[in-house]
Amino acid sequence: MALMILKTLEAMGSLHGYGIARRIEQISGNRLSLNYGSIYPALLRLEQERAIVSEWGVSENNRKAKYYRLTAVGRRQLKQETEQWAEASAIVARFLTVKESL
Amino acid sequence: MGGSVGNCGALPYSKGIVMKAFWAFWARVTGLFRKNRREQEIAAEFESHLQMHIDDNIRAGMTPEEARREALVKFGGMEAAKESVRETSRLIWVETTWQDLRYALRGLRLNPGFATTAILSIALGIGASAAIYTVGDNLLLRPLPYPGASELAMVWESNPHTITTHNVVSPGNYFDWKAQNGVFENIGGFFDLQVLLGDGKRSQEMDAQVVSSEVLPLLRVQPVRGRVFTQEEDAKDAHVAVISYRLWQNWFGGYDDVIGRQLQVNLRPFTVIGVLPPDFYFHTRSIDVWLTLGLNPGPDLRKTQGRWLLSIARLKPGISFKRAQTDMTGIARRLEIAYPDFDTGWGINVEPLRDSLVGQVRPSLLALLGAVTLLLGVACANVANLLLARYTSRRREMSVRGALGAARFRLLRQLLTESLALGLVGGALGIILAWLAVSGLVALAPRELTRSVQVTFDTRILVLAIVLSALTSVVFGLAPALIASRANIIRALHEESHQGTGGGHRLRAWLVAGEVACSVVLLAGAGLLFRTLVGLQAVDPGLNPKNVLTFHVTLPSVKYREPQNRVDFFARATEQMSQLPGVKSASAVSYLPFNGLAAGTGVEIAGRAPAKPGEKLVASIRTVQPGYFRTIGIPLKRGRDFTAADNVIASPYRFIVNEAFAQKYLAGEEPLGKQISAHMDDKDPFGEIIGVVGDVKEGALDQEPKPTVYYIHSHLVYSQMVFVLRTEEAPLSLADSARKVIADLDHELPTSDIRPMTEVVRLTYSRQEFSAVLLAGFSLAALVLAAIGIYGVLAYSVTQRRREIGVRVALGAEPGTIIRMVVASGAGMVIIGSLAGLAAALAVSGLMKSLLFGVGPRDPVTFIAAPAALVVVALCAAYVPARRAAGVSPMEALRTE
Repeated sequence: MALMILKTLEAMGSLHGYGIARRIEQISGNRLSLNYGSIYPALLRLEQERAIVSEWGVSENNRKAKYYRLTAVGRRQLKQETEQWAEASAIVARFLTVKESL
Repeated sequence: MGGSVGNCGALPYSKGIVMKAFWAFWARVTGLFRKNRREQEIAAEFESHLQMHIDDNIRAGMTPEEARREALVKFGGMEAAKESVRETSRLIWVETTWQDLRYALRGLRLNPGFATTAILSIALGIGASAAIYTVGDNLLLRPLPYPGASELAMVWESNPHTITTHNVVSPGNYFDWKAQNGVFENIGGFFDLQVLLGDGKRSQEMDAQVVSSEVLPLLRVQPVRGRVFTQEEDAKDAHVAVISYRLWQNWFGGYDDVIGRQLQVNLRPFTVIGVLPPDFYFHTRSIDVWLTLGLNPGPDLRKTQGRWLLSIARLKPGISFKRAQTDMTGIARRLEIAYPDFDTGWGINVEPLRDSLVGQVRPSLLALLGAVTLLLGVACANVANLLLARYTSRRREMSVRGALGAARFRLLRQLLTESLALGLVGGALGIILAWLAVSGLVALAPRELTRSVQVTFDTRILVLAIVLSALTSVVFGLAPALIASRANIIRALHEESHQGTGGGHRLRAWLVAGEVACSVVLLAGAGLLFRTLVGLQAVDPGLNPKNVLTFHVTLPSVKYREPQNRVDFFARATEQMSQLPGVKSASAVSYLPFNGLAAGTGVEIAGRAPAKPGEKLVASIRTVQPGYFRTIGIPLKRGRDFTAADNVIASPYRFIVNEAFAQKYLAGEEPLGKQISAHMDDKDPFGEIIGVVGDVKEGALDQEPKPTVYYIHSHLVYSQMVFVLRTEEAPLSLADSARKVIADLDHELPTSDIRPMTEVVRLTYSRQEFSAVLLAGFSLAALVLAAIGIYGVLAYSVTQRRREIGVRVALGAEPGTIIRMVVASGAGMVIIGSLAGLAAALAVSGLMKSLLFGVGPRDPVTFIAAPAALVVVALCAAYVPARRAAGVSPMEALRTE
């Protein structure tokens, strides 16, 4: 979840929780159906880790909302985790192909 | 993951994790102080989220209601999300613990019966164990208050022939040990006595200790003022004294000029040379003055003196007790050869100091330690039982809270907080109880238990008690809490709570069985001791202690140097006291029976070949005033008592012996008229036996009487005598007039140790009495706890089976049948517990053997009575809920559905 949030924020710049949740659902092609509520603890954790910062702002249709934005720490973390994730999935993929060829 | 990544990225990566963790922690700490703002923010953020979602939904063509509903569903549980955010946002446990605590206290307040029982159970268990552990710790574990105390030893003479292992020491042997041994750094001699202490203004009888110059340095005590005795002072018995800190404060106002001040000891002037530290004591805690022993080696010590000295030694570094014992036994063998007359049959016993000081009370103490541990066990089981009942009845509440989004861990923690609160409140109460109990125990305890070792309540026990109570509540709260918090939400909400009986019920039955078992063991122990006590009280002591007053008077030897003075004084005092109104007769004796002390020496019978070495006839020696036997109630079996005409120095020597003497040493011969002699003096003339009196079971009631020879006071002129007065009414009511008689004769003479004879006799079985009283208390407490446990389990099951019982009643079951059914359902745990307890009691009762008298450790009466008593109590406890069950009205029971 953390990785998805970071990636979303990298792509979208500044966004509120509802937007992030919506975006994650869209990107997954609605294959990932999540409780929107569960995004907030994750956001808070990232904020505590100083990967993102938040500030209150006004949404496109004039609603007050809290906007989240990536920090330098967050970018570094995103980069690191993306690499790790790629590495890990590559390894798993290789295992799976080996299994198939057996 | 590839090794290359791990290697090159290890450092920054791990640093990143540390930083992340640090910031997260920091945010949570600061979060503690911004609770309200954070709370509002969360609410606002969620609200805006919903609004945006609703807006989008409406734009997508939904009605406002539909839009709202869809948004809420999509969001998931609002409260659960909030809770989750809260958990993340703060050091949540600090807050929730506080919250749990308040909740727990509120819950306990709402349920005072449960809270009181649980807290009292814990308080009782913790209090009793902390108190007994304190005593045990002081006596058995804590190092004695002397540097290097583990190297200190008491050295005794022993004689397998007379079965003595702790005999006082002959000065002659003592000096030879000193000269010949290679295992002790030093040996010193000492004994305790009472002296008349005065400073010109007042005079008072005080406990004193006479010590050789080695004793205090050997104990490594540093005086707070002045110094201790030098070898020279000891050798010439100089008139110098070392005083206790207590005396320094009380008599000399704690002034520094105390060194060099004068003090009268038995009316002779002594100079104070030192003050010992406040907490110092040795052998007897009440000592206020130390004097020199003044004993010097001499060729004739074995001829002129018997065995009377106590001796203490310090082992050389690296020497074990075993090694010292071997070495000293070698010396004993040599002394037997060198002095066959005196030393044949005598060995040496090297004993660690602590064993000497507390050896006798060890069995009682171990029994009590065991007992109190059992009591603690019962208390714990009871608390667990109560908690289990409480949690089971709260299962629905837990399920509801779980359904509303409480995490299981959170529920568990809340239950534990509650039991911890119980435990700590109970523990605190227990500590107060223990603190009171320790002072009570010390007051109640036999003198021998507290005479030589100080018993204090200390922080270690405090910590132990707190840890113990916390542990008790957590460990015994955990199982019930686990069961309660596991409650299946759906099932619990579905079922009517009074139908479910889960694993909890079985656990509770086992707990009760455990309580019952522990109680049976305790009851059996108490029963054995009680029977011992009854047996001891039924033993005929050989005298009649009722209405007899006793007290000590010591004549200072300076003023009463001539034997004639002393004879006159005691004769006149006895005469005047017998004239007092309310006094039937009065007399005096050198050593009271049952006081654990008497002179003992060898005796000879005229016309017999001298006894072989090591087989000498030994008898206790007492000197009495005329009328002693009548006054204290020892029957005269044959011949006559001493008369006033005998109590004259010039009269011919005459003796009275007891029956044990006549039977053992004069078996079959006519005792009256026999000539005997006792080795008490240099002369020891033979004298005629003029009377035979009954035996007194004097050492202890459970021991054989010793052969005893009675002197008339004029022929063995002691300066310290114990007066005995047979009174018409309560003996203590005459204490004042008796004291006045002595003061009128000599206003400087104090009377001390004024006690009724019944108390003196009682002290000999104080050890058993002490243990019996405590054990009885413990078993009573355990019994009550077990009864509460049984009651609790049955009452609960009756409540749960209300409907079933109602149906039975409706179908025509008699109340008697219902009662029987309920009682029977409790019988299983009681029977299993009783049997287990019985087996355990039989297994461990052998440990109590040395405390028992007149009953075997497997006394059948006790072992039938103990479980029987328990079963009766259990039946009573079961009967109450059973009655309630029988009273269930079918209509009502069915209607509650």
